[in-house]
Amino acid sequence: MSIQDVSITYGKNPAPTVEGVNLEMKQGEIVSIVGESGSGKSTVIRAVLGCLPGGGYVSKGDIQFEGKSLLGYSQEEWRKLRGTEISMIFQDSGAMINPIRRIGAQYVEYIRTHEKMSKKDAWDKGVEMLEKMRLPSGDNIMRSYPFQLSGGMRQRVGIAMAMTFQPKLLLGDEPTSALDVTTQAQIVRQMMELRDQYNTSIIVVTHNIGVAAYMADKIIVMKNGRVVDAGDREQILHHPSDAYTKNLLESVPAMGGYRFV
Amino acid sequence: MSELILEAKHVTKKYPASGGRTLIANNDINLSIYKGRTLGIVGESGCGKSTFMRMAISLETPTEGDILFHGKSILGLKGEELRQHRQNIQMVFQDPTAAFNPKMKIMDIICEPLLNFKRIKKSEKEEVARKYLELVELPGDFAKRYPHNMSGGQRQRVGIARALTLEPEIILCDEATSALDVSVQKNIIELLVKLQKEKDIAFGFICHDMALVQSFAHQVAVMYLGNIVEVLPGSSVAEDSKHPYTQALIGSIFDLNMDFSKPIESIDSEAPSPLDVPVGCPFQNRCDRCKEICKKERPTLKKVAENHQVACHLYQEVEG
Ligand SMILES: Nc1ncnc2c1ncn2[C@@H]1O[C@H](COP(=O)(O)OP(=O)(O)OP(=O)(O)O)[C@@H](O)[C@H]1O
Ligand SMILES: Nc1ncnc2c1ncn2[C@@H]1O[C@H](COP(=O)(O)OP(=O)(O)O)[C@@H](O)[C@H]1O
Ligand code: SF4
Ligand SMILES: [Mg+2]
Ligand SMILES: [Mg+2]
Repeated sequence: MSIQDVSITYGKNPAPTVEGVNLEMKQGEIVSIVGESGSGKSTVIRAVLGCLPGGGYVSKGDIQFEGKSLLGYSQEEWRKLRGTEISMIFQDSGAMINPIRRIGAQYVEYIRTHEKMSKKDAWDKGVEMLEKMRLPSGDNIMRSYPFQLSGGMRQRVGIAMAMTFQPKLLLGDEPTSALDVTTQAQIVRQMMELRDQYNTSIIVVTHNIGVAAYMADKIIVMKNGRVVDAGDREQILHHPSDAYTKNLLESVPAMGGYRFV
Repeated sequence: MSELILEAKHVTKKYPASGGRTLIANNDINLSIYKGRTLGIVGESGCGKSTFMRMAISLETPTEGDILFHGKSILGLKGEELRQHRQNIQMVFQDPTAAFNPKMKIMDIICEPLLNFKRIKKSEKEEVARKYLELVELPGDFAKRYPHNMSGGQRQRVGIARALTLEPEIILCDEATSALDVSVQKNIIELLVKLQKEKDIAFGFICHDMALVQSFAHQVAVMYLGNIVEVLPGSSVAEDSKHPYTQALIGSIFDLNMDFSKPIESIDSEAPSPLDVPVGCPFQNRCDRCKEICKKERPTLKKVAENHQVACHLYQEVEG
């Protein structure tokens, strides 16, 4: 995957919201994007998935996946790519899942839009994926309504669905922000296992700098629509080049660290 | 020890749930808020933090127990008495966008409580708003803006400015910095601490980020499934926490100085539903030190050191 000098513009806005973003990613690499609220983090990863809201479009530069530009893709080509080659996990997967239909019905339908398969086989595949995500009884989960599951469980269902076809690239927009710290730790662990088992590449957007640092090979820091710092983890944590990055790192509260009182 | 302002005594809150069942959102809570000090309340979502805060600001009444303000119960307050009492305790919410009327200018938002209590005249609005904006380190000109023309951090400061206007003795913050990035969050905490020192305000600060809370709270209460399981000084959390749940929370923190090659610790199972709190210790199904007695008897808060209480069968009460 490579992002080359990309600018992104929303609708009729005169100026681009995001400007001059570059990223080269190898298979199996994990990249974290951190930064100011409203700086354009979600905008960048939505562009990679070809689903910018509100008339957003890539106004400059190129995004390539396996050497091929994604920008000219037709709806049909995107439909084939999304879910199978590139998948996304959102902040609240629960909100994506239809609340009044059972998980199983939705999962089976999702599988069958991407691959010819009998309902029975799709069901079994769903159960298998859920259990891989360490959800206790996959069959039970399939028979549940979303509201019967906790936030952490719904998030795992979201990851299981995103991983069904072993995509090469997984995108996460604040995938753990709505979760408690103990659940967050479980989900982070599971995303790391995906990389170890399937060599999945991952881009994760998060405002938790600790999570970003723990997961990432590379870290990108954004402010005001621009990348202000980018580099491998050690470099960003120990030799940040930008003042904003330093400020961000110094602001992370630490156990037994600086006290305000 | 400074002056005791608000005291919750054996406070329990029950909600009726489907199928004739009862949800115990708060169970026998005893907590105190002191003048000029900060009480942090930490715990997972749904553990009952906001329920407690709503009772403290008299938006709801406890099912059992009592809440005292300067030694007098506030539970029986009604009508004008209650309205007057509300000036003493103000609240700052998680999402100020949702709490503010988008059609109101910042000066109207900040001065609303003062106008409600007829403490200022309409003509004084702008001047007063400017004063409070400057107090929270925002430009006075923001008085004429609308909330949507400001960043999240700026709106959060407006929320604090508004809470300050009635000069309350206590300000309760419910996840007031959770939606902000860490550098904005740090600025807000510095502001709160400065205002506390200047005006001797007491803060109640609800948050699920243990690292943040312990960095500025004088006392931290850890809540699990409606129960307070540990209370200890903020300065001792990192070194001296005792309850297995508190330790699990600390173990799940992603710290910049951690060893990135080691797997992160975390409890694997989920918390039980608040409708099915087990007999005995509420934490038993996730605790790796659970003993026979933990399944039979609910541990009560016991003093284990000065200003430090723990509800766990692993620890004995100390004398004195
Ligand atoms: N549909 C849209 N139309 C117009 N502008 C938009 C749209 N979506 C986002 N923006 C603007 O683009 C900028 C970047 O937004 P984005 O959601 O990418 O930020 P972010 O870095 O993900 O922030 P946060 O940390 O708050 O999630 C913001 O100024 C936002 O107001
Ligand atoms: N008005 C209500 N009616 C019924 N149940 C409620 C109500 N308010 C809160 N609860 C329940 O009480 C428990 C504690 O909720 P809450 O105090 O909001 O937790 P927290 O703020 O710690 O996330 C939850 O299980 C919640 O579903
Ligand atoms: S009382 Fe028992 S189950 Fe509860 S936290 Fe202590 S050791 Fe664990
Ligand atoms: Mg975003
Ligand atoms: Mg709450």
